[in-house]
Amino acid sequence: MLKPCLCVASMVTRGGVMATVWAMSDEKPLIHMQQLMLRYPTGKTALSGITLEIPQGQFVYMIGESGAGKSSLLRMFYGGVRPSSGSLVVQGLDMRQANDAKIREIRQRTGIIFQDHRLLFSRTVFENVALPLRVQGWQTERLIPRVRKVLAYVGLADRLWSYPEALSGGEQQRVAIARAMTANPPLILADEPTGNLDVDTARRVLDYLMDLNRNGATVIMATHDLHLLESHPGRVVQLHGGTLAGDSW
Amino acid sequence: MIRIPGLKKQPSKNMARRRVEPNVVNEGQSSLPDREHPRLPGGFNLPPFGVHQVLAVVIVCIALWAVGVIWLGMQAASQWVGSWQQDIHIHVYLDADKGKADNGKGANKLQQRLENIPQIASVRRIPAAEAATWMQSWLHDAALNEQDLVNRLPLTFELSLTDEQSQFLFDDIRDAASRFGGRVNEDEVNLARAHYWLSQASWLAGFASIVLALAMALIISNTLRMTLLARADEIHLMRLLGAKEWFVRMPFILEGMVLGAAAGVAAWLLLWPIIWGSSAWLLTMQVDLNLWILLPALLLGGGLVGTLGAVIATARVVSAETGV
Ligand SMILES: Nc1ncnc2c1ncn2[C@@H]1O[C@H](COP(=O)(O)OP(=O)(O)O)[C@@H](O)[C@H]1O
Ligand SMILES: [Mg+2]
Repeated sequence: MLKPCLCVASMVTRGGVMATVWAMSDEKPLIHMQQLMLRYPTGKTALSGITLEIPQGQFVYMIGESGAGKSSLLRMFYGGVRPSSGSLVVQGLDMRQANDAKIREIRQRTGIIFQDHRLLFSRTVFENVALPLRVQGWQTERLIPRVRKVLAYVGLADRLWSYPEALSGGEQQRVAIARAMTANPPLILADEPTGNLDVDTARRVLDYLMDLNRNGATVIMATHDLHLLESHPGRVVQLHGGTLAGDSW
Repeated sequence: MIRIPGLKKQPSKNMARRRVEPNVVNEGQSSLPDREHPRLPGGFNLPPFGVHQVLAVVIVCIALWAVGVIWLGMQAASQWVGSWQQDIHIHVYLDADKGKADNGKGANKLQQRLENIPQIASVRRIPAAEAATWMQSWLHDAALNEQDLVNRLPLTFELSLTDEQSQFLFDDIRDAASRFGGRVNEDEVNLARAHYWLSQASWLAGFASIVLALAMALIISNTLRMTLLARADEIHLMRLLGAKEWFVRMPFILEGMVLGAAAGVAAWLLLWPIIWGSSAWLLTMQVDLNLWILLPALLLGGGLVGTLGAVIATARVVSAETGV
């Protein structure tokens, strides 16, 4: 009874209100961009005129030359930088208006995998993976089984107390994946997660991301490795010089 | 057109929970034993101690020790001056025979002369009988002939001072006394002087304590600043994961507090040798120092100073790309 009503509402109001409506309907886009523009304080316009919708549950490749603006766009999805103009709604939150507390909530619901993986080398694999849960206030007793589970999933159950230094590049990236998924986020952002890996290792990393996606997470992955598209197909969004250059489903 | 596997499934909230189940190894078979206690960053967990921290504790301990020594000195001095803190009297004596000469005119003139000194509030002539009674009781009622005493005791003037800090006051009193053949109780003059210097010194001690406290806060703040810089990536990461600011900063605040309090206790322990070393000397001065009351003062003071340093250090910890 209620649902059709809400859908009509979403048709009519193309703006901030929509986000709340979508949050209740089934076909909500997880991320909605409208004429999105980003200018850095240096004066560099990194992105402009981006209008794009990413529905929940999609696997999205974001490709484009170096400097095309991939990282900048991902950064906006977790509030690392704020849009300069246009609108950006992520997980129901208007990122231009959101206060710090709301941004923190968004970050707790987002798993981020960096190209340089950003593991803490002074801490064990366990501690690295436990960090998101710790930040969300999980008690140690409750957190240990969860971390064990996640590390078992990425095949590193026996490296719990190793330091990241002692791991290979592929293993390190799997720890980064484990860290990104440990808090069960509905959105996973990956910035060139296979950048430094050989083809086979890269495929293995992608297997995990695809599996996470199959189980419900929306995955957005910036990448250079176009050959991955053949073995692991997905939606491809192409950026070029800060503008949208292509979007193939 | 590329196939989108993700869109085929309708996402649901508990889907994520199910996600990892199939691939998970049985927890009971997990080969690795639980480690003692994983040290996780943030919140109420202290960051690890290193050589910088030890150095900071040593330096702050020395500074707090100096403050403790100053406070002990003040305690000793104020005990030595004792009841003189409250009201200060100087006694001037005039030999009995000189006082009685001229039908006591000399005595009257001396009294007048003393009353004319502006810093003297009042002059009371203590009757010989009163002095004798007092002396009797002081000597535990030794069998003295009271009348004999009264005859021999000098005439005594008790001077109440308004302002013992006046530069020439004691010279004036001495002047007046010697003119009529009287004497001033020089011990009392010395105590009055000591009282004056003590009140000056307590200002100085307070000032020195504040300066040292600020210096200590800066030392702790610098130490924490170093740990903060060394762990900038961790702080940055916690913010990217949505950590609250108090969660990020609390470990450093706690560390500052612990460093300060530890230095305070160490400084207190190091004050004992001073007490032991000077006990014989203190005994002759009839000074009984209480070190225990300095323990809470140094502990709380150290903790407070450390916390202050930590607050200074964490006031501006910026991470790029996180908006904070
Ligand atoms: N923090 C920043 N400050 C100023 N300019 C930046 C910053 N980060 C990126 N840029 C600029 O924005 C553009 C897009 O960069 P980026 O998003 O990193 O591209 P990509 O990830 O596709 O290689 C580049 O021209 C880059 O120089
Ligand atoms: Mg990039």
